[in-house]
Amino acid sequence: MAENKRIIRVMVGLCSLFLALVVYLTFIQLFKSKSLIANTYNRRQVKIEENTARGNIYDRNGVLLAYSEKNGEQQERIYPFGPLYSHVIGYNSKVYGKSLIEAAYNRELLGINEYSQVFGMASSSNYPGRKGDNIYLTIDHELQALGGELLQGRKGAVVAMDPKTGEVLALVSSPSFNPGAKELEKNWQVMVESQDAPFLSRATQGLYPPGSTFKILITAAAIEKGLENEIYNDKGSIVIDEREIRNSAGKAYGEIDLKKALAVSSNVVYAQLGVTLGEGSLKDIAQRAKFGKEIDFDIPVSASRFPHDSMSKTDLAESAIGQGKVLVTPLHMAMITSGIANGGVMMKPLLVKKLEDPDGKTDKDAKSAEFSKIMSKDVSEKIKVMMQEVVVSGTGHNAAIQGINVAGKTGTAENELSVKKKAKEHSWFVGFAPVEDPKIAVAVIVEYGGSGSDTAAIIARNIIKKYLLEQKTSENKN
Amino acid sequence: MLGETTFRRPLLLIAVFNIIGYSFLFLSGEAYNWHIAALGTFVTLLICTVCLFIIKRNAGDEYLFLIVSMLLSIGLLVISRLNEGLGIKQFIWVLVGLTLFFSVYFVYIRVSKWERFTYLYIFLPFAFYLITLVLGKNINGAVNWISIGGFTFQPSELSKILFIFFLASYFKQPDMLFLKDSRYSEKTKVIVNRVLLMLVTYLNIGFLVIQRELGTAVLMFLVFLIVLYVYGRDMRTFFLNSALIIPGLLASYALFYHIRVRMEVWIDPWSDITDKGYQITQSLFAIASGGFFGTGIGMGRPDMVPAVTTDFIFAAICEELGVFGGVAVVLLFMLLIYRGIKIILGVKNRFNKILGFGIAVMFGLQTFIIIGGVIKLIPLTGITLPFVSYGGSSLTTSFIALGIMQAISNTDMDEAGGEIYG
Repeated sequence: MAENKRIIRVMVGLCSLFLALVVYLTFIQLFKSKSLIANTYNRRQVKIEENTARGNIYDRNGVLLAYSEKNGEQQERIYPFGPLYSHVIGYNSKVYGKSLIEAAYNRELLGINEYSQVFGMASSSNYPGRKGDNIYLTIDHELQALGGELLQGRKGAVVAMDPKTGEVLALVSSPSFNPGAKELEKNWQVMVESQDAPFLSRATQGLYPPGSTFKILITAAAIEKGLENEIYNDKGSIVIDEREIRNSAGKAYGEIDLKKALAVSSNVVYAQLGVTLGEGSLKDIAQRAKFGKEIDFDIPVSASRFPHDSMSKTDLAESAIGQGKVLVTPLHMAMITSGIANGGVMMKPLLVKKLEDPDGKTDKDAKSAEFSKIMSKDVSEKIKVMMQEVVVSGTGHNAAIQGINVAGKTGTAENELSVKKKAKEHSWFVGFAPVEDPKIAVAVIVEYGGSGSDTAAIIARNIIKKYLLEQKTSENKN
Repeated sequence: MLGETTFRRPLLLIAVFNIIGYSFLFLSGEAYNWHIAALGTFVTLLICTVCLFIIKRNAGDEYLFLIVSMLLSIGLLVISRLNEGLGIKQFIWVLVGLTLFFSVYFVYIRVSKWERFTYLYIFLPFAFYLITLVLGKNINGAVNWISIGGFTFQPSELSKILFIFFLASYFKQPDMLFLKDSRYSEKTKVIVNRVLLMLVTYLNIGFLVIQRELGTAVLMFLVFLIVLYVYGRDMRTFFLNSALIIPGLLASYALFYHIRVRMEVWIDPWSDITDKGYQITQSLFAIASGGFFGTGIGMGRPDMVPAVTTDFIFAAICEELGVFGGVAVVLLFMLLIYRGIKIILGVKNRFNKILGFGIAVMFGLQTFIIIGGVIKLIPLTGITLPFVSYGGSSLTTSFIALGIMQAISNTDMDEAGGEIYG
């Protein structure tokens, strides 16, 4: 009977609707529940926070950097080193929310892991006395503290990395602020309006012209094009399309090769090189170094910039000396330097070393991963030699350490104030050591700090020295 | 009748479910909760008694009530967990509902030729709507309740069933309900009949929209469409009415502010999360927080969802009994529809067949509309989850519908009329 056939069709239709409900419910649970549970408007979260002892945060050697203390009904987050880690760990305030590691690892710090999410029983928020996971950062507290000390009172950033693993050893941004909840609430308005921008995490989100430190990438492009043995005539200044580009203090170096040009940081030679290499070659090396690309890190990082539309000759010349439209974060500059130290391979930066549950079992170990191959091993070896020469006989002599082979590059970056002679240039230094087996790579910037060889190089030297000494003592102990 | 062996185990499982559930509630508070213990005992005993009664008396299909008693158990347990007082009130409603269920069952069997009362089915709902408009109480922005002596009732719930009665009388002999003895040509009669059918339907829907009973209006329209699809003499009227969906939606979107709000909230509840999107997002939070296995009865926070005992009870089920618990509820409704349709396929009396079909489809669509709304699969329209949500009107109406279904499933009754048409 036709009617019965249609009745069955209707039933099949209704059953499909029910099936759609089941599928959609499963979909919510599998793909949406994580963000739904963490949504700030989900008041269950508040309940969980009240009943959970928030996890501690340690440095790589177990120095306690953040913990929670019960203060009556409320929990108070305590940061023993005050402003030193506010641009790494962030803050945890009822009023202003959470930032950086406190935000990115909120679920782990509250002990809400994948397992308890799927097998819901354990995640019940009504049990007091829950404990969250502890976090171990890759940061070396000694190094971070030294970085903070060396920058004291000046604006800038110090980034140190293990070039082989990508582990970030120090990530200092200055000026900083006290991340304690009470201080935050008291000073918030003042800090938001402050011209010094203490909320800007300069190491990860400050975009600066790289100045002459960018020449290490141009050198790589030049070597790849077979220009390493060319001889250039440096007259102290050069005019490219009506734009005059001068060496520092207008000094002329005469006939020099690429190695010498990098050592003395000749703007004349590199501006010419930029034009000779051309747009394609410059964009290619910038792309391999991941300019314009998001960097996947445990806390937010601004993407560095390289001109993406068509470039005039002036643009090419300016970009080659790290001026013009090229902008970079200190973290990214440290990554590029690490890439050269690591045989051309740039590693993914790591900030969290491991997670540990309250019973001391390791939940998650961070794994090193390749981020980008910037150049071949051969090219990187050649640049290493040239960067060593910078420290031995060139502008980077202030970074030299007795008994250790240091490689580096200075930068003295023009900025909006220095052009008008209202302030000094930004002082840059990037480098790594020991050259034969790099253990640490650093990038230092001091805003309006003047010449890279004076200010930044000295800070970098101290950081490298401290770390290698630390390594030596721990090796001796073992 | 399939005999006694096939229902014993499911009935035992339902009893075990209730005993475990209420024991948990009994023990979970700070002090032993004797009210809950008493309620649990009564619920378990009541369900077993009714099931056994239906079997022993051979009173129609034994599975319909078995499936419904599991739904009832889940609903009562979750309501009692949310609000003990409401749980007890709901239990009283269940008693009232069961009384109605059996009354309707026996009356429906005794009275023959239900199609005699066609005009009652047409005009009684309109009377209800008019009474509500005059005497109506405004509850949650919808004027759809009447209050008689402190006792509130939602007449639109009954209109739903009366409308299905009307459809059944109309399609018993399609397009021949009105003007039976007039001298007009056959063709004119068919056209007039179809126009009147649509007129009655859209008047019903129109009144419901005015009273902001969006869910019931949509439900009624879809039931009408499906009955038309199955029992219409040709597909023309079906296509004509289906074609009205899109202009109808657009017009109501343009005309009614509350429909616009519903659509906007469905598309993006997050931008107005503190106000209009609050309810649906809280519901999603509850569902997500439960995981696959739920937090366990009494251990989640479904109380954060507004209207959680009525329209949003499914969110509470998902949070505390998990997505698997939610899926179980969906599957129980699927079984109920399947069982209903299976019964219908064997029924010979055409009026009963259409009526039963309409009721089964109504249960199915009502379930889909509210669960789909609560999980944000479709726009939310306020409507209750049959047998599970808290509420006297909804529960008693569902029991009345179930009583009719139960009567239809009684094969002894299926000899009253054997007209087969089309």
